[in-house]
Amino acid sequence: MSHVNATTFTVVVALCILVTGIGFAAARWRRAQDMMHLNEWGLGGRGFGTFTTWFLLGGDLYTAYTFIAVPALVYASSSIGFYAVAYSVIGYPIAFIFLPRLWSVSRVHNYVTPADFVKGRYGSRSLALSAAVTGILATMPFAALQLVGIQSILSVMGVGSSSTNTYVKDLPLFIAFIVLAVYTYLSGLRAPAAISFVKDTLIYAFVIVAVCYIPTRLGGWSHIFDIAQAHYAALNPATGKPNGAFIPTAKKTGSTQVDFITLAFGSALALFMYPHVITGTLAARRRSTVKRNLSLLPAYGVLLGLIALFSYMAMADPVTVANVKKAGNTQLAVPYLIQHMFPSWFAGLAFAAIIIGAMVPAAIMSIGAANLFTRNIFREFFKPDASPRLETRVSQWASLLVKFGALYFAVELPHTFAINLQLLGGIWIMQTVPMIVGGLYTRWFHRWALLAGWLAGMIVGTLAAYRTSTPTTSHWASSSDNLFGFTIYIGISAFVVNLVIAVALTLVLRAFKVPEGADETLPQHYTADPEDAPEPGIRLSQLPTH
Amino acid sequence: MADLIAPEPTDPDPPAPGPLATHPVTSLLIGLLVLASIAVGLATPLYARIAPKVGGFPFFYFFLLVLSPAVGLVLWAATLLQRRLGDPAGGQR
Repeated sequence: MSHVNATTFTVVVALCILVTGIGFAAARWRRAQDMMHLNEWGLGGRGFGTFTTWFLLGGDLYTAYTFIAVPALVYASSSIGFYAVAYSVIGYPIAFIFLPRLWSVSRVHNYVTPADFVKGRYGSRSLALSAAVTGILATMPFAALQLVGIQSILSVMGVGSSSTNTYVKDLPLFIAFIVLAVYTYLSGLRAPAAISFVKDTLIYAFVIVAVCYIPTRLGGWSHIFDIAQAHYAALNPATGKPNGAFIPTAKKTGSTQVDFITLAFGSALALFMYPHVITGTLAARRRSTVKRNLSLLPAYGVLLGLIALFSYMAMADPVTVANVKKAGNTQLAVPYLIQHMFPSWFAGLAFAAIIIGAMVPAAIMSIGAANLFTRNIFREFFKPDASPRLETRVSQWASLLVKFGALYFAVELPHTFAINLQLLGGIWIMQTVPMIVGGLYTRWFHRWALLAGWLAGMIVGTLAAYRTSTPTTSHWASSSDNLFGFTIYIGISAFVVNLVIAVALTLVLRAFKVPEGADETLPQHYTADPEDAPEPGIRLSQLPTH
Repeated sequence: MADLIAPEPTDPDPPAPGPLATHPVTSLLIGLLVLASIAVGLATPLYARIAPKVGGFPFFYFFLLVLSPAVGLVLWAATLLQRRLGDPAGGQR
């Protein structure tokens, strides 16, 4: 595939240059008096309205990797991949319950990260550190996978794949990423926020055109579904079993429904624990902005559902099937489908949409992880008197480090490594649910009990994921495990262990009257809706308490 | 920030009775709407079926596509109901 289509290539490069310009110009958008403050660089001035927040969170939650990996999972295994559609739906009502409270308390106390809240609520540096470390660990491989998404587009485009030298081969990726790193360094969260307008517009346009047009080329939706059903029903020559389940099955053996439900519920619960998602949320101007967005964001769920169905379109197109087989990589199913179905200029548009769709979340992830490092590790343990200016400087550099770490992951290590880590990241980030969501409602949990529960959940989840195997893979084969005769998402089983330990130890520690730590929040802070963003560097004692 | 915290966080202005006490019906309705939209998404045994087909889409796929906008509308209704609670931060506008 060394042939590069000039039209496709030109469209992609032109759109990438456009968003680069926007990324640099974003530094002037809603310009603040002093940009050297984390509320500005890291949270875009905490002033985004409903419209911007919708694009920002949409660009944040529905990443390029999702657009590549969900159809790849459906294409390669079975309809279980549609759990992603179910979880992106129920994630919003779940967030509706607790997210406005997190926004309010963070606004009142000037919290920038979820770990800031944990520190303020429980008065425990170690518990806050556990939240920060989990967030950073879960975000890094996720950012790396955005690059893997870009790589799969570039390889279908035929860009650079003729060389065997990694650095020549991935040169376009390096250039794209260095540019991304520089404008994120300068503009902070404003850059991905501004670019997300372009990204989401392109993605919506591409998906709507694709779902209207491609089925007419492939004999209609009925035919596409029939082919998928026949493909799954056919026996796999290697295992002698059917290729997969066309819909989640309830049969006693090989049931996929429990797996589907636990994956959907666990992922939905974890969705708003990711630092990059919380960063996008805390950038909202008002509490009502957050609530309104939770009812507007499900619009993206339709998009994700349609994108997942691209896998069935790919199965129904013999040329795409042949190309994927030749490349031996199911992640290329959607890019090949686009390339074969559309005129080259439109393919360029679609490819650019996915590439830009990788840059937006990668930028927000690097900012979210950088803020965690700055606030909850650097300031907390190394420089407690860090000025807002120094904090911002450290965050800027940390964001560069996160991005180049992700680049290293994507280029140097096998992709399965990043995928396994991302799988683990989902399990890990769920272990912060008791301290964050629990803490938003009650101070009943003891800080040491939460820490012990977190540690247990992390260990149990990691070991269980390590032990999963298939006939072809000895470790890290799946994010689900067999328990009591059911296939269950490991995130859920580890979460249950975490919660049981947190409850039991809280009872014990309370019985022994172990000091609980200071709580700097008051009940009304959780429903507050301050109109103005907190002044940089404000002291808590100066805050009104109503 | 330890110096900023009083040993016993006293509340000078005790919060008014919660919304559940002042508007029990509206509050329960909101809770019901939110929990129902979670439950429906997790009721996989009910919607994991091929028939009936809608416009060529097996029911499972049709349902998942329709579920998103439906949940959006339900949450929008919940937001509107919350304004009726006079929730000081429910987003009066």
